[in-house]
Amino acid sequence: MPVKDSGDYIIVVENISKTFPDGVKALVDFSTRIHRGEVVVVIGPSGSGKSTFLRCLNGLEEIDSGAITIDGIALNDHKKSRLEIRKEVGMVFQQFNLFPHMTVLENISLAQRRVRKKSKEQARDMSMDLLKKVGIAEKADNYPGQLSGGQQQRVAIARALAMMPKVMLFDEATSALDPEMIGEVLDVMKALASEGMTMICVTHEMGFAREVSDRVIFMEDGKIIEAGTAEHFFSAPAEDRTRLFLSQIL
Amino acid sequence: MTASYLSRRTSLWHRIYRSPIFDIVQFTLLVFAVVWFFSSSTEKMGYNWQWYQIPKYIFTHDENGYAAGPLWEGLMVTLRISGISLVLAFIIGLGTALFRLSQSFVARTIARVYLEAIRNTPLLIQLFFIYFVLGPVLGINRMTSAVLALSLFEGAYTSEIFRSGIVSIRRGQWEAAYSLGLSGFDTYLYIILPQAVRRVLPPLTSQAISLIKDSALVSTIAIYDLTMQAQALIAETFLTFELWFTVAGMYLIITATLSVIVNYMEYRFKVSD
Repeated sequence: MPVKDSGDYIIVVENISKTFPDGVKALVDFSTRIHRGEVVVVIGPSGSGKSTFLRCLNGLEEIDSGAITIDGIALNDHKKSRLEIRKEVGMVFQQFNLFPHMTVLENISLAQRRVRKKSKEQARDMSMDLLKKVGIAEKADNYPGQLSGGQQQRVAIARALAMMPKVMLFDEATSALDPEMIGEVLDVMKALASEGMTMICVTHEMGFAREVSDRVIFMEDGKIIEAGTAEHFFSAPAEDRTRLFLSQIL
Repeated sequence: MTASYLSRRTSLWHRIYRSPIFDIVQFTLLVFAVVWFFSSSTEKMGYNWQWYQIPKYIFTHDENGYAAGPLWEGLMVTLRISGISLVLAFIIGLGTALFRLSQSFVARTIARVYLEAIRNTPLLIQLFFIYFVLGPVLGINRMTSAVLALSLFEGAYTSEIFRSGIVSIRRGQWEAAYSLGLSGFDTYLYIILPQAVRRVLPPLTSQAISLIKDSALVSTIAIYDLTMQAQALIAETFLTFELWFTVAGMYLIITATLSVIVNYMEYRFKVSD
């Protein structure tokens, strides 16, 4: 076992627990470590705590106990540490959550200007570069409502990337999309993975897991049931529950 | 079954009922009825209409050019009081809404006490309280008392409108903003409020219109607004009907203009989400 805060790990999660006010135990004594540049896919039945895990990583949910350290910054109760961590952790949501009253360009530029304190021109250049990267530069002046779901999700990815995050979290990024649009979003995610971005993806796209992930984590009831490479999951999952779950989604 | 339902809907009677001509006839009849009722009853009273007297109370014209009449001056006072109160009411309303939604128990309590106090007492009493009680104590004048009373009163209602707008914004918008590292202040300023305000423009307009109408109450503390000027003129001239009609018309013009402007704004700022 490597030392606790080895620089090799960008995310260190130690024994975190989270119980919701209604008594649901979303995370139970959950620990994991993630290497810089690693792509982790989290799978599991609904209610297994996978989304909660992601949301704890950037402070959208507060943990009851345990510790989270991201790139050497401890996530604690201080507002400052939460803001600091959110700058370094990008998040993409199932429902895109673009700002409907702003153009695509404004959506991507806002945080660069307000948080990174960039000039209007700098932010604009960066935003346009990112839009080119996700393949929809021509939509820069459109409003989110005028875009298809796949396009909106690509804008959302660009918006998160504009903060130059060290980690990207994808919370079922393709689950709300029509089947024909899933591919375009997955392509962007794959490109990102190949560039060496550290990514944690909650997804049921096992093809994606097989192609780009370094590790797959299977969760149930707030705990890790099994972890390993995608190949391991396809060929020889050790646990019965894992086998049952995989037989349902594949 | 669907077919018979449709044929019933397109029957002759239905077509007449739905045609614009039917609407026009209805409306014309209604107007005639009102006018007839009114003219016949005022005739019976022997009321002597003197509409020609009215224009000089709005504007007078002599060799020096146009000069404002008392009604125009009153209108300006009404507009000034309403305008200032409106801005203050929106500021107070927004502040109170944010207080009510804040994490702080103290802030929430202050907001609740203010809201309950204002919403459960009559505006007239608040106006008298501020003018006759707080006025001498704090040394504030008539005009300030009026503006303070109106903005505190309307602010309470405005805050509920703002609050409903803010809580109607989906949680995902907050989360997206937070996940980008935006501060709470920036999130409100750039993400939540622009969307919330657009959503509540219609009730906000109603509230603005209420404020303009409620401003007539300031005449009770002897501020020469539109209503007070009319009362004074009537005491002098006995042109009761003409003056009240004129004053009502003037209020109507202000509020209708406001509605039209806001309708246009709503159309311009339409957000799809």
